[in-house]
Amino acid sequence: MTAHVPAAAHAPASARPRVGVAKFASCDGCQLTLLDLEDELLSVVEHFEIIDFPEATSARSAGPYDVLFVEGSVSEPAHLERIVELRRRTRHLVTIGACATAGGIQALRNWADHDAFRAAVYAHPEFVHSLARSTPIAEHVAVDAELRGCPIDPGQLVELLTALTTGRRPQLRDEAVCMECKRRGVVCVMVSKGMPCLGQVTQTGCGAICPRFGRGCYGCFGPREQANAAGLARHLQMAGDRPREEVGRLFAGFTAYSEPFRSMVTELGGTRTGREAAPGEPAGTTGGKA
Amino acid sequence: MVIRTAPARGHRPVLEGPGFLARADLQVLIDLLREDGRRVIGPTVSDGAIVYDEITSLDDLPRGIGDEQAPGRYRLRRRNDERLFGYVVGPTAFKKWTFPPLVPLTRAAKDGHRVTFSPEPIDVPPVAFLGARACDLAALGVQDTVFTGTAFVDPDYAARRAKVFLVAVQCTTAAATCFCTSMGTGPEVEEGYDLLLTELDGGFLVDADSAAGRAMLARLPVRPAAAAEQYGAAATVAAVRARIGDPVPAAGLHDRLLAQLDHPRWAQVAERCITCGNCTLACPTCFCTTLSQVTDLTGRDATMYRSWDSCFSPGFAKVAGGSFRSRPRDRYRQWLTHKFATWWDQFGSSGCVGCGRCITWCPVGIDVRDELNAIAPAVPLVPEAPIVEPVAATPNDFVTARVVATRQETADTTTLTLTGTDPAFAKGNTGQFAMVALPGFPPLPISISRFLPDGIELTIRGAGPATKAMCALQVGEQLGLRGPLGNNWPLDRAVGRDLVIVTGGIGLAPLRPVLHAIVADRRRFGDVKLYYGARTPADLLYRDELERWSARHGIEVSLTVDRAGPEWTGRVGIVTHLFDQAAWDGANMIAFVCGPERMMQATSTTLAGRGVPASRIHVTLERHMECGIGLCGHCQMGKYFVCRDGPVFSIGQLGDIFGREGI
Repeated sequence: MTAHVPAAAHAPASARPRVGVAKFASCDGCQLTLLDLEDELLSVVEHFEIIDFPEATSARSAGPYDVLFVEGSVSEPAHLERIVELRRRTRHLVTIGACATAGGIQALRNWADHDAFRAAVYAHPEFVHSLARSTPIAEHVAVDAELRGCPIDPGQLVELLTALTTGRRPQLRDEAVCMECKRRGVVCVMVSKGMPCLGQVTQTGCGAICPRFGRGCYGCFGPREQANAAGLARHLQMAGDRPREEVGRLFAGFTAYSEPFRSMVTELGGTRTGREAAPGEPAGTTGGKA
Repeated sequence: MVIRTAPARGHRPVLEGPGFLARADLQVLIDLLREDGRRVIGPTVSDGAIVYDEITSLDDLPRGIGDEQAPGRYRLRRRNDERLFGYVVGPTAFKKWTFPPLVPLTRAAKDGHRVTFSPEPIDVPPVAFLGARACDLAALGVQDTVFTGTAFVDPDYAARRAKVFLVAVQCTTAAATCFCTSMGTGPEVEEGYDLLLTELDGGFLVDADSAAGRAMLARLPVRPAAAAEQYGAAATVAAVRARIGDPVPAAGLHDRLLAQLDHPRWAQVAERCITCGNCTLACPTCFCTTLSQVTDLTGRDATMYRSWDSCFSPGFAKVAGGSFRSRPRDRYRQWLTHKFATWWDQFGSSGCVGCGRCITWCPVGIDVRDELNAIAPAVPLVPEAPIVEPVAATPNDFVTARVVATRQETADTTTLTLTGTDPAFAKGNTGQFAMVALPGFPPLPISISRFLPDGIELTIRGAGPATKAMCALQVGEQLGLRGPLGNNWPLDRAVGRDLVIVTGGIGLAPLRPVLHAIVADRRRFGDVKLYYGARTPADLLYRDELERWSARHGIEVSLTVDRAGPEWTGRVGIVTHLFDQAAWDGANMIAFVCGPERMMQATSTTLAGRGVPASRIHVTLERHMECGIGLCGHCQMGKYFVCRDGPVFSIGQLGDIFGREGI
């Protein structure tokens, strides 16, 4: 949507790469993963200069950033300008988590009447400045890499940082969660227990954490490349004898707004209205500045 | 005792050498195996399934528990007896211990300009597999051939496999997903075990089929088995065979399948298939793997790991320009045709043992038997054998080489001159390649662009991070090499003939050694024509050599570019246009072609039109390669591993798979 202007953003070559963390509509859980890297934290600080990280330090900086981790979705009018501005000051922009990469759980409102929601929840909806749709960062600016998940996986975060220092592509496998289940010897919950599981259409990276604890994957890492969501939905309806809306609801989670999950939610229902707001409407906001 | 069925199955079994072990005394076997220092891997209930895992006691076994299996469905059920093996096979295969999901291969370190590659030590404890069925034994046999039965041996597999003690069990029940009868692998266990158990109501018939097995049998508290016990056991196994029937008639399956590469069913099954890869990882014979690099933040130390991968993942056949099997139907076809057809060409057996795991553990219940029976007409194809034998290499082991010179060929392409290479490179041949690695980066196949008495040259185009890092190497720095790998251009067949070489861009690199060989012994060859194209004049490689070959060695060099500035006085356009109008006859000609697959196809068509026979048009293929020796599966193309059987093929050898989408 906007031009990516990396050249001006370079830090001096001799310095450690300058890293920042920026937050949009999110719960902060993903950026806390950076602080949770207990074993690697000292090494990270040795190799990267953390210049902007509100969860960790009160010292702030406006960049420029060699690496900027962006958490959260674009959900308020002010976000629209801010993300474009941050992109201008950033060399490698990395989105982290389901909100930033897919619009997050808050994107379920994209299928609902935004005004009615606000009126139902807030006594004074006129003070709530929000956009009618919650959208992923990549819908607004160019993104260089993304870490999926709710929250992101610490191992993948370390891999990304390591790839940055080594100069290679991060090895983030684009394959089904099933592959991780099978490598770890986890018994398939769908085959052995009849539980619906999105692992087949969901990108790996979590270490198959939900199936390991005996429940189906709910797709927080979002759809993998060429995910055959329609094939899975058909099977769950026909072989599993599940009603349409129930199958639609499986896709209506943290990454519901990513294709092809998005089409499944729209086609099968599973949200309150089952209808997605028309693409023309979104930028229009009903509260605050537009 | 052995229950030997005569070769024609279903005959009355011949019995010999009885032995009976009481059920409780199976604990004695487990204890003895553990006393011998073995981990005992056997069936146990975990997470609603009977899996293979480490066991220490009889109580770990699934006493009185059976299973119900159907496409996409598995449930445990209580039996009305105390049997320990009253179920069929579960989700785990024994390959988990002989071919683990994740193995460290090589440790790499970088210290200034010095890099070192050291193979990880292979230190594995002895194991015993308890409860292996006929299909499990057949699967171990299939992987034995893949990993140890060709010119290249996987040292990790060989070390693990040598330490396995096999306690097999006869199947006394069958699942609805079983089809070992059709694949000729069961249900009867006939050979390849140390000990064999057949479960009866109160215990087991026991027999041995190896020295280790006989030694163990002598330590067990067995009594001679009664004749009634032996006949009862044989009748039970015969009933299992009858129950399974013959769900996939296998005669002629190889040819029938390969004749149906365009069947509409491939697209139909792809609508259902999620391409999740469960079938391949549940399969006891699938052997595909992928390498990954684990580096520390300093970038000084890196470990290369090998993990299970699947031909169903979209990235599996990816190269810099995209994936060779981009559509799900391509990947389903690849898997099915490999298992049931091209596996025969590569390894002399079917890749399927009929265990039914891929049917049960397919989350959407696709039944491979139905797919095979739906794709069936009988049009036999006769495969042609590869023409060049592969040479030996050093598996899993990188040898460092040092950069002694670098030459910038074009804006993005560099030639590295390397010495200190493995002595094997001195025996290398034109057209071969090396797997090239820097610590922390994935190893890449790079064609050898020159053979020197004490080294080689590699010409590398900096397309991605790894190749850019290689191009940036300075004199004195090191990298890791494995090779030389692959087959070679059949230069011996060019002696006394006219040779035409057609190539573009970086494609001249693997052909450069051919030209060196020709100029070294020019009189042995007839007319030699080199048709070479590049994007722009500045992208032409080896410009000084091109001039020398033309001026001094009587090689007819014709150049063309896609785009040119005013300084270019030569031809503009695609490379085949260079000889569209040429007046030569191809009858005595042999052709070597290197370029993108579409360009090679167009060139082959033009050459064939000139009378060059398909058996003398040779191309070199690009595929995703990681191991370089036919063990990781990435470069599979029909019945060939491009790394091991190629990369050089004749058009005649490739037949109708050449240039076909999604192969």
